Amino acid sequence: MTNRYGALVVMTLAVVLCSCGGERPQQEGTVVISVLTWRPNSPQTWEQAIARFEEGNPGIEVDLQTGPSSSTQLHDMLAQRLRNRDSSVDVFVMDVVWPPEFAAVGWALPLDTLFEPGERELFFDGCVDAVTWEESVYGVPFFLDAGVLYYRTDLLERYGQDPPGTWSAMVRTADSIVSGEADPGLYGYSAQMAQYEGLVCDMLELVGSAGGSLMRPEEPEAIRALRFARDSLVHLEGMSPPGILIYKEQESLELFASGGAVFHRNWPYAWAVCADSATSDVVGKIGISVLPRFPGGESVSALGGWSFGVSPFSPHPEESWRFVSFMTSPEIQRLFAVEVGKPPARRSLYSDSAVLEANPHFRRMADVFENATPRPRSPVYPQISHRLQSFLHEAVGDPESDVPEMAAEAAEGLREILSRAEE
Amino acid sequence: MRAGRIGLPMMLPALVFLCGFLVYPVLSTAINSLYHDSPVTGREYCGLDNYGRLLQDEQALRTVEFTFIFALSSVALEMVAGVLIALAINRVITGKGFIRAAVILPWAVPTVVAAVMWKYVFNDQYGILNYALFGDSLEMYRAWLARPVTARLAIIAADVWKASSFVALIALAGLQSVPRELLEAARIDGAKAVKRFFFVTLPLIRPALLVALLFRVMDAFRVFDLVYVMTQGAPAEKTSVMQYFGYLKMFPEQQYGYGSAVSVLVFLVIALLSVALVRTMGRRAVAK
Repeated sequence: MTNRYGALVVMTLAVVLCSCGGERPQQEGTVVISVLTWRPNSPQTWEQAIARFEEGNPGIEVDLQTGPSSSTQLHDMLAQRLRNRDSSVDVFVMDVVWPPEFAAVGWALPLDTLFEPGERELFFDGCVDAVTWEESVYGVPFFLDAGVLYYRTDLLERYGQDPPGTWSAMVRTADSIVSGEADPGLYGYSAQMAQYEGLVCDMLELVGSAGGSLMRPEEPEAIRALRFARDSLVHLEGMSPPGILIYKEQESLELFASGGAVFHRNWPYAWAVCADSATSDVVGKIGISVLPRFPGGESVSALGGWSFGVSPFSPHPEESWRFVSFMTSPEIQRLFAVEVGKPPARRSLYSDSAVLEANPHFRRMADVFENATPRPRSPVYPQISHRLQSFLHEAVGDPESDVPEMAAEAAEGLREILSRAEE
Repeated sequence: MRAGRIGLPMMLPALVFLCGFLVYPVLSTAINSLYHDSPVTGREYCGLDNYGRLLQDEQALRTVEFTFIFALSSVALEMVAGVLIALAINRVITGKGFIRAAVILPWAVPTVVAAVMWKYVFNDQYGILNYALFGDSLEMYRAWLARPVTARLAIIAADVWKASSFVALIALAGLQSVPRELLEAARIDGAKAVKRFFFVTLPLIRPALLVALLFRVMDAFRVFDLVYVMTQGAPAEKTSVMQYFGYLKMFPEQQYGYGSAVSVLVFLVIALLSVALVRTMGRRAVAK
């Protein structure tokens, strides 16, 4: 008996000790930098990039830590660590809406002397603006995202229709195709209208293309756009699937890729998913275009995308910068564009033959990427976003919503959030 | 004398543990709730301002409303379903062990796993509920979690499915202590099954049921995981609960002071309800 317990204790100790000393054996003088990123769709591309970096930078080892794939959850995780001045993260990815907060709170190192003005000009302005706060830059853009419209070329051709310029033209086209096909599994439009960050992007595009702004929801342009979304996109019979109010990117794309929708709003990555016969029933039947607008307005795409930031608590800022600079170099942005279809943040790559061969649609989309519209910029963006999500979801989700009254309430709520942040 | 001298050192580890893991976090949350505290604005004493803000925050009040609806309706349904299940199992003679294990299974499943499962059940495209109700008539399919009323019902249903088995287990323990002679005597006196249940069985298992009630009420008021997985408060905060609201303020929005005030409110509601329930139980025990 005693022997058996003794063995158990020894084994437990052994496990504990082993797990304490479990780090990779290091050579003398090697610096390990930890990089925190979201869970990638293509881990092999990250591995490839890191292998190239380590090859070119002997003495630096990269420890890639993957967090959750949701931006909000990754923000929670990163904020928790940085708030506690945790030195276990050296480099992290930043969503396009984070830099104002990270800058104001001191969670990202200013990179003004490293990421020089001349270098910044090689990136899209929108991406550089996104990492700038009060005249300083806090990150280097990695890739960007912008909302685009996908459509079924086969269906549009069969009914002699062109890609729509306005939202009402899109609804009319979708309506005639859906009633013509008489297939209960076919809807007109698929988008992201669950109550989450993506809803803010989708609605920014609608409201913006009517000439309004999300920060001023009580103005007539915004109200007009939201009423249109409620009556003609969400609640019009056959226009969108019943689940559109709980769809995020994946669900809405699954519907479109399985042939269940005529039109689809998504980010550029959806192109590769729709072009792959393993994940798509509509290979070769899809087109891509700028998002529709309202008469008198201009097409608006929400700006998304990610940059790299360096933690101010990192013991190795110099090595960290070398990694950031490498990951945002033309070579690596090209790699991610070719392998994963991420639109590069560098302008020059839009005339790069390898990038264009893998992503022929980039040629026409460069303008959309250049002019994408950012979400409201504020250090308290998470609060603004939650208030907007709640308002927008009810405004377009409840068929009898009193949009002007809810918009007035939301505007009041936004003012209060901003005045609290000023205190 | 001896007990007194040796008592304190013997209790010390437990006391340290209790203070470290229970008293300290509660106190520190209560203290935090008196500060404006977020990385953006810094930390500043503000008295009861967070509580004043909470009482005027319409979104917070919406979550209080659904928390009460959820707790009252789910606990009521669980108590009834639990007793019915226990009565049924109590009559089973063959395969007792197997059936008991089967009944307790929902309780053994982690809530997050159960919530993911229910989310699929209610899914609009490939959910089994739509298929069971409407078969191949795709045009009838509904998005249960997208509408306020059905989303609320869905969350309540998921909780009832999971927690009824807990009530059943405790009720079953109570049922087994009911003396057969009493039921026999009632039968000989001509009492029908319904009467025997209400006048003999129920009074005897009441103490057990009160224990189950106490646990369920406390659990229901601090529900978080079902909402987090199934709806995240959508549509428009109609399914958001106090704990989820507190999480939003505390973590994604980094408002530690305000989030702490929400936590303290949840703590107070649960503490008051528990004290009230425990007192009723105590009084009944004394009356016996």
